[in-house]
Amino acid sequence: MSDKGNGKPVGSAVVAGAGIAGMEAALDLAAQGIKVDLIDRDISIGGVMAQLDKTFPTNDCSTCMISPKLIEVASDPNITIHTRTEISEIRGEPGDFKVHLHKEPRFVDLDICTGCGECIEVCPIELPADFNEGLNKRKAIYKHFPQAVPAQVAIDKHGQSPCKMACPAGIAVQGYVGLISQGRYKEALRVIRRDNPMPVICGRVCTHPCETACMRGQVDQPIAIRDLKKFLTEWEMAQGEMDLPQVKDKREDRVAIVGAGPAGLTAGYYLALEGFQVTIYEALPVAGGMLRVGIPDYRLPPEMLDYEIEYIQKVGVEIKYNQRLGVDFTIEDLKAQGYAAVFVGVGAQECRFLGIPNEEADGVYPGVDFLRDVALGQAQSPGNKVVVFGGGNVAIDAARSALRLGSEEVTILYRRTRAEMPAYDDEVEEALEEGVKIDFLVAPVKFAVENGRITGVECIRMELGQADASGRRRPVPVEGSEFTFPCDGALTSIGQWPDAGCLDSCSLEVNRWNCLEVDPITFRTNIEGVFAGGDDVTGAATAIEAIAAGKEAAISIQRFIEGRDMSEGREKNWVAAEPDTEGVAKKPRRKPPSLPPEGRTSGWQEVVGSLSEEEAREEASRCLACAGCSECLLCEVTCKVGAIRHNDVPRDEVVEAGAVIMAPGFEVFDAGLKPELGYGRYPNVITSIEFERINSASGPTGGHVVRPSDQTEPKRIAWLQCVGSRDPSIGQDYCSYVCCMYATKQAIIAGEHLGEVETSIFFMDIRAQGKGFDRYYERAKNERGVRYVRSHISRVTQDPRTMDLRIHYFDEAGELQEEVFDLVVLSVGLRPHRAAQDMARRLGLETDEFGFSKVQDVNPLLTNKEGVFACGVFQGPKDIPETVTQAAGAAGQAAELLGAARGSLIETPVYPDELDILDQEPRVGVFVCHCGINIASVVDVESVREYAKTLPHVVFADDLLFTCSTDSLDGIAEAIKEQKLNRVIVASCSPRTHEPLFRDTLRKAGLNPYLFEMANIRDQCSWVHQGDHPAATEKAKDLIRMAVARALMLQPLHEITVKVDQKGLVVGGGAAGLTAALSLADQGFETVLVEKSDKLGGLALRLSKTPQGLDIPAYVEGLIARAKSHPRLTIMTQAEVAGVKGAIGRFTARIKKGGETIEQGCGAVILAVGGSEFQPQEYLAGDERVTTQLVFGEELKAGGELPDKVVMIQCVGSRDEENPYCSRVCCTKACLNALALKEANPKAQVTILYRDIRTYSTKEKVYREARQKGVRFIRYEPEEKPTVEAAEEGLLVSVFDQGLRERLLIQADRLVLSAAVRPNPEAHQVASKLKLPLDSDGFFMEAHLKLRPVDFAAQGYFLAGLAHGPKFIEESVAQAKGAAGRAAAVLSQEERQVGGEVSVIDPTKCVRCLTCLRTCPYDVPLIGPDNFPVIDPAACQGCGSCVSACPRQAITLGHHTDGQILAKETALQI
Amino acid sequence: MNRVGYYPGCSLHATARDYQESIDGITALLGLELAEIPDWNCCGATAAHAIAHDVSLGLCVRNLHRAEQQGLDVVVPCALCFHELKVAQKAVLEDGWNKAPQFPFEGKIQVYDLLAFLAQDQWLDKFKERVVKPLKDLKAVCYYGCQVARPPAVTGSKTPENPMDMEKVVEACGARPLDWSHKTDCCGASHSIPRPDIVYRLVGDIYDRALETGAQAIIVSCQMCQANLDMYQKEISAERGRDYLIPIIYFTELMGAAAGLDETKVWMGRHFVDPRPILEVS
Repeated sequence: MSDKGNGKPVGSAVVAGAGIAGMEAALDLAAQGIKVDLIDRDISIGGVMAQLDKTFPTNDCSTCMISPKLIEVASDPNITIHTRTEISEIRGEPGDFKVHLHKEPRFVDLDICTGCGECIEVCPIELPADFNEGLNKRKAIYKHFPQAVPAQVAIDKHGQSPCKMACPAGIAVQGYVGLISQGRYKEALRVIRRDNPMPVICGRVCTHPCETACMRGQVDQPIAIRDLKKFLTEWEMAQGEMDLPQVKDKREDRVAIVGAGPAGLTAGYYLALEGFQVTIYEALPVAGGMLRVGIPDYRLPPEMLDYEIEYIQKVGVEIKYNQRLGVDFTIEDLKAQGYAAVFVGVGAQECRFLGIPNEEADGVYPGVDFLRDVALGQAQSPGNKVVVFGGGNVAIDAARSALRLGSEEVTILYRRTRAEMPAYDDEVEEALEEGVKIDFLVAPVKFAVENGRITGVECIRMELGQADASGRRRPVPVEGSEFTFPCDGALTSIGQWPDAGCLDSCSLEVNRWNCLEVDPITFRTNIEGVFAGGDDVTGAATAIEAIAAGKEAAISIQRFIEGRDMSEGREKNWVAAEPDTEGVAKKPRRKPPSLPPEGRTSGWQEVVGSLSEEEAREEASRCLACAGCSECLLCEVTCKVGAIRHNDVPRDEVVEAGAVIMAPGFEVFDAGLKPELGYGRYPNVITSIEFERINSASGPTGGHVVRPSDQTEPKRIAWLQCVGSRDPSIGQDYCSYVCCMYATKQAIIAGEHLGEVETSIFFMDIRAQGKGFDRYYERAKNERGVRYVRSHISRVTQDPRTMDLRIHYFDEAGELQEEVFDLVVLSVGLRPHRAAQDMARRLGLETDEFGFSKVQDVNPLLTNKEGVFACGVFQGPKDIPETVTQAAGAAGQAAELLGAARGSLIETPVYPDELDILDQEPRVGVFVCHCGINIASVVDVESVREYAKTLPHVVFADDLLFTCSTDSLDGIAEAIKEQKLNRVIVASCSPRTHEPLFRDTLRKAGLNPYLFEMANIRDQCSWVHQGDHPAATEKAKDLIRMAVARALMLQPLHEITVKVDQKGLVVGGGAAGLTAALSLADQGFETVLVEKSDKLGGLALRLSKTPQGLDIPAYVEGLIARAKSHPRLTIMTQAEVAGVKGAIGRFTARIKKGGETIEQGCGAVILAVGGSEFQPQEYLAGDERVTTQLVFGEELKAGGELPDKVVMIQCVGSRDEENPYCSRVCCTKACLNALALKEANPKAQVTILYRDIRTYSTKEKVYREARQKGVRFIRYEPEEKPTVEAAEEGLLVSVFDQGLRERLLIQADRLVLSAAVRPNPEAHQVASKLKLPLDSDGFFMEAHLKLRPVDFAAQGYFLAGLAHGPKFIEESVAQAKGAAGRAAAVLSQEERQVGGEVSVIDPTKCVRCLTCLRTCPYDVPLIGPDNFPVIDPAACQGCGSCVSACPRQAITLGHHTDGQILAKETALQI
Repeated sequence: MNRVGYYPGCSLHATARDYQESIDGITALLGLELAEIPDWNCCGATAAHAIAHDVSLGLCVRNLHRAEQQGLDVVVPCALCFHELKVAQKAVLEDGWNKAPQFPFEGKIQVYDLLAFLAQDQWLDKFKERVVKPLKDLKAVCYYGCQVARPPAVTGSKTPENPMDMEKVVEACGARPLDWSHKTDCCGASHSIPRPDIVYRLVGDIYDRALETGAQAIIVSCQMCQANLDMYQKEISAERGRDYLIPIIYFTELMGAAAGLDETKVWMGRHFVDPRPILEVS
């Protein structure tokens, strides 16, 4: 408890990081009544462990282990999960922090989303699947894996795609391109038409700024976006049916639009969609504006325009022709007719004049007028020899049209150069192909005229001077360069402006270019209710700009009519996505065919052809999906519950927390930083985490092990160890702890998957220091044929023909070797996650030189910030059990601070009194779930519901879109009350995930929760029978019939409340026992510590320093002093626990002390009876010059005269046949002792004879320092162990050096044996007294090697320290904290609910054969006072083993009775 | 900048005349003037660095000093010279080596490998404009040898195991560079006299791998590599029982061919294995 804060601490904690460490810490805290905010930067919890396939050393499936944990976290009412969240700041005091959280948006409302996954199906964007290490793709809206928690989806956005940003209309280009690549053309067109109603036109004449911005251009060429759009529209035309959108209900309001150009048509279209009555007034007899009369047919065939206009008319836009503004009507007239608003889009169709003499002569033809006449079929050839002035698209179109009307020679005169030409490049190319000539840097001065008709034009040469306002260099005349260009026709096209006359007529404000002045965002003019957009505002511009303006104006008009703010929320604060284009394989752009230039000019046929479907899909697949989500909004349209929130923004939140646990985890080393190994360059070099995914059944290949280059099964696989570990050259001078074992595991699993495969592991030292690891390694080597090659890798090269890989390496003798493999797996190391390092920096948490939490104390869980604790790989590289142990320890540590506030923030739900249903006839309600389309698309849900109604006792049946959604749950509760239901069945998914939720609903409605039954018609039906809908529907009926049959047999079950004896008992007074006892006492629990000897402190008092140089005895003395004075701690030395009775929460221990036996009640027991040092008999043990590391350490500590020549022998009593385990501490201890000796006696020579040096994690630094200081390391093989002789001159040690391949004779005056760590010599007696299991090495056995490392299988017993296995003191301390934390979860509850689904013995049937006693894996059945076996409901785990074993069928398991199961079975037979 | 300092080294004045001439041709084409360092001296790569470290540093520091006096960055075509100059530059600027005080060097100028220099966007873009005969049908591997990129602490290369500068040039020439795993292998040039057996093995492996990769030619940027790979083809062919005869082409020669420079055929005429037929240069 905090004695520093003022008053009571806050009863909540923040856990940062939701990998296995964070989840464990959160669950342990929540179990103690502390509210937890569990945060993670990812979209779901589970961390890296969720990515693993199997785990060592048991080969258990990782997913199978972690999935129940995920559910446990998700369903714990005291844990709030925050995804995409990081801590930005911690303020306040320990016990009372204000933790500032920064939350990035998920773009999905977690409260609404049901995780049905329909949005994932429709999403067009595929991104590398990060969960699968990018080996395959996933959608932009996604879950990492089906069982992910939270079950809801999230969206990845990396900003806006450059194409969308460049498009004036802001079309979700990336979205429709993605849809095309998937062949979903109809949806693609809908995406376009959402922002642009003219895809047919834009597919042909758009200037496509999107392509200019396209990031693919940085790899090779931009995506052919315009051609893709054209393909889509042709596809629709080929289908023969316009895909018309839904039009909203018709409104009374009418809107008038002036001008049927692209701006007016667009504005009309979007207004009509909203239900407005729209009328367009067009001056010409045709619609389309400049699209119709400005663009020649060979670019835009008129029937295409007709199609588009028809489309717009079909949604309800009316067009009135030959109505010229200012001539036939005025704006005032329109208003008078009752139009609520007017949009002016009259364009800019008046040609600008050259302003040179004789421009009015015959033969001079304004280009725009010429094109209009061409379009209307009224144009004649402008002459035989024609000049065209200008450099824009009109000039090019005019020139090409002139050729088609029979002009013999057409020359464009342009005053700047090709680089400055505004005309579109392709058009210029096509014009040149057709024979148009272009003369650059020429300006006209005057037309030469004869008889009123031009005969030529006088010109002057130009040169480029300074840049002008447009950024282009201004052309300057070259004096004296005048010349005359003969011609008989001239087309002028140097720009257009709006018709001044018509605008003047309606007092609209114009600027000096004769263009309308409008608000740039709302497009409103100076006249209220009048809006304008398009060329009449911008001057001659592009169709897409006019379309954009029309669309925006439509929004304003609607808001204007509805009286809403027109500008609100319309500023676009877009940030461009910046995709990584490195390493993208080149693939050229697809070009549509075009007509051959010869003969093109004889007609008006469209020049540019179309992409084929295959080409279009291939072209679309080149898209880099820059933005992640393209905001095509298909998910929003598809989502049945309306959970998508595309406009979500980052949020900051402050939560109160008494303590913070940091578990932000790691990332794997970037193998690209070791370029000589070829990762990222050779496809068949992969990382170990990628290999995990390849092995995984849920991975990219469905668990089929194939190599990436050719998808074939590899026959030879090599693992290269220490990639990014033990490598000072790149600052990674630590051991990553897990790689040796995971490589071993992967080699074994590969063998299981592939059968015939050679597996080789290239390594420096095999580090198998964990519990059971060495046995695993030996088994791999000897039984599974895994080859281990001690080596140094030089490099990897690739055979370009086979893609096989050649490994060049030095063997132990220093010889260069080469070997060829099909697949190379790089065993990448662990490093603190970058985000974790950033967070640590932000929060002022100290880290070591590698970025791991800096060790401050013998207790490794402490950080430099009081109240903030570290665990997991953030604290240092470690495996899963170590991580879980530390997490439990961190939770215990936090509870020490928050003990007083336990339960203060927890809300206990209040349920109504239970209805008595015992004498009632069954009334069954059945609720059939659609699960979105998960079930409903396969199973005919309605017919299943109707069928359910026909079943006996079913009085009510319904079908629901999602039974698990809040409103559905309310509906179920309602039905229970109204229909007086006394049995409820939900036919949906798995009880594993959803049963607790539905049971809770029953309780809320007053029904006993055991009156509930589920039929899994999703996992067991719709998912697995997708191909056969009728049969699936029948099966669903079967499953429901079975569920109903069982439900009729269900009985209410009641749990019993038992009081918890809130005291702790700790057995063993060494460092672990002391730590655990103090932690319990600090958490507020009366605790008894029982120690057999007369002294506290145990082995630790004989140690000297930790690898970090911290003084161990001083630390332990500190613990002893505090323990002795702790008010809640009772210490009993020279005492022994003789036995423990009872069950979790209420044990009675018999303690013997000095002939007396004391009965001590307690709720939990922590066992910490320690270990011992092996006393060797070999290597001249007994000679006074031969000693053990422990004793030598004490000698060094004592000082005095120290030896000069020391030989140390490792693995004495470890890793041999009798004791096939590693003692874990000896390698580091030997290095530390060697260094201490060197420091005290610099001339000392130390030689360490070893098998593998196992200075794991950052202890590697000690090994490195020892080598640097001159300690010699010589490796020996167990088959050729060193020998020792005593001689006159000292000890003679003989060893065969594996590196030199020679026998060495070393003279020594001291031999130090690294003697094994052994269990407590009395471990066997303790085990039998307490009925606790030992492993095959004689250490106590935990409940689960991976996930329950401090629990015993028997509930209420916990474990810490050397009793569990060899370990360093800091590990013992962390484990003891963990054991105390776990025990506190029991002790913190005043009472426990027991019973329910437990076994009950019927004494009338029992014959006392004791089978149940022998069968129970938890030793629960006991012989009761009347000599019959009894099962304590508080201890029973409900596994049912005794039920099936009982030969007399005297045992029944509640809620799983024979009758219930038989009823279900029988129902299937019907 | 259209003028840059130039340190040719001894072999470009002698055995590697073809390389020098092609460099002259290409720099002239690009409008880049090479200002040879006045009174430059040997870089010491052959003997000095192995025998007397300080002497070899001193030799290079004198060259750096002279280059700095000229006030221009220096480009170096020879991989060995480049390496020696970079070693000296690092010794003086980073490690405080100061045994040649008469030749002060402050690090105001940069030392470039010629390939890295010409592969910069500004020069490569210029070159692309001059390509008149893209070598569309040529597939080639780029061979950098051991010293242009490595060790990165000296060369400053960011991709020492997989340099890409030459690939950029080959691509600019319109040809197709192929990725292969031997681009930074040693060719054993320094052992060509005492231990030809080693050289034959190393070079033979390079040939094999180049051919397996599908290359028609090996492009190089070092005259030692060029000589070593070009000269012994007959001997290695005889020893390995295979007809190699692979053209070993300087990247500058390749640029000449793509730019349609007439002299290209003269430069290439001096090779042991004539590259002209595959490049259709005549």
